[in-house]
Amino acid sequence: MSVMVNIHKTHRQYTSGQETVPVNGDTVGDCLNDLIERFPQMKTALWDGKGRLKNQIEIYVNMESAYPDELKKKVRPGDEIHITVMLAGG
Amino acid sequence: MAPILSSDELERYDRQILIHEIGMAGQEKLKKASVLICGAGGLGSPAAIYLAAAGVGRITLIDYDQVALSNLNRQILHGEADIGRWKVDSAKEKLGKLNSHLILRISTVRINDENAVEWVTGQDVILDALDNLATRYALNKAAQEMGVVFIHGAVNGFEGRALTVIPGQSACLRCLHRSAAPETGKFPVIGVTPALIGVIQATEAIKYLTGIGELLADRLVVYDGLKAKWSEFKVKKNPECDHCGRPPERKTP
Repeated sequence: MSVMVNIHKTHRQYTSGQETVPVNGDTVGDCLNDLIERFPQMKTALWDGKGRLKNQIEIYVNMESAYPDELKKKVRPGDEIHITVMLAGG
Repeated sequence: MAPILSSDELERYDRQILIHEIGMAGQEKLKKASVLICGAGGLGSPAAIYLAAAGVGRITLIDYDQVALSNLNRQILHGEADIGRWKVDSAKEKLGKLNSHLILRISTVRINDENAVEWVTGQDVILDALDNLATRYALNKAAQEMGVVFIHGAVNGFEGRALTVIPGQSACLRCLHRSAAPETGKFPVIGVTPALIGVIQATEAIKYLTGIGELLADRLVVYDGLKAKWSEFKVKKNPECDHCGRPPERKTP
C-alpha cells in the first residue's frame, strides 16, 4: 500500500487533473520527490529556487499539520498527505 | 442600576435570546463587547453586517480603500452609488441603518507593524478580513502581544478558510508558515465564498464573546465550494514561532 497525496486544485493542472496520486516513500520529502518524478511540473509548484518548500505551501499528514519539519516527517503506507496553499484574498 | 438592554433591544434580539446558550446573559455580553474588523470588503462586509445585527455593542471598522465597481460582486456593504467613496463611509451608512444601537468607529488607516498594537489595544476580538498577508501578519503579531483573540479568514476563488487564535493557547497564523508568500495582486473570487467565511468568522466572534461552543482553535477549516466540502486540519502551536513562541504579556498601552 502506498501513501496517498491529495493535490490542491491549483496544482491539478500539473497532475493531468488527478486529485489524488499514490506515491511511495518513508518521509513526506520522499513522497513529494516521488510525486515530482511522476509529474515533473510539480517541482516548480512546490520548491523555491533554493530547494526549499515554497512559503505558501502547507503540508498535512493525516489531517494534521506537518510544519515546521514537513519534509522529515515520517509516513507509513496508508497515510494521507494533503498539499494545500496559503490563501490571501479577502 | 439601569438595565443593560433596553426594551427595544430585548424585542430586537428576542429570537437569539431564545437560544439557550446565548440567553439574556449572552446578549448583554455582546452589547458590552468591542470588535475590530480589519477590512470592509468581501469578508468584512458579511462579518460586520451579522455582528451589527447580532447586537455587538462596539465595532471598529478599518479599511484604507475606496469602493470600486469590481468590488461589488462580493462586498455587499457597498452598492453602485458608493463607487469612489471610502469603504468605511459606505459601511457606516449601511450599518447605522441596520442597527442604531451600534457604536461604530471607522478609520482609513493602513495597518502595519508600527501601528497594529495601538488598534488592537482595548478590543475583545480582532477579525482578520484583510486581502493581503503582510497586514495579516502585523495584526496577528499585535494580537498575540496584546492577548487578544484573532479570527483569521481568507479566500481564493471557491476556496476559503478560517482559524481562531487564542493567544497563549492555540496556534497563531504565523505557526502555519515560514513567512508570507509573495503577493500576487488581483485574486479570483466569487462573493459566495467570502460570504460563508466572513459569517464563520462572525460566528466565532459571537461564540467567543458569549463564552459558548467550541472555537476553531488549532482547527483550520478549509471550504471547497465547488465540491461543497469542508475539511478540518489540526494545526499546532510552534514553540519556535516568532509571534507567539513566548507567553503573551499584556502590555500597558
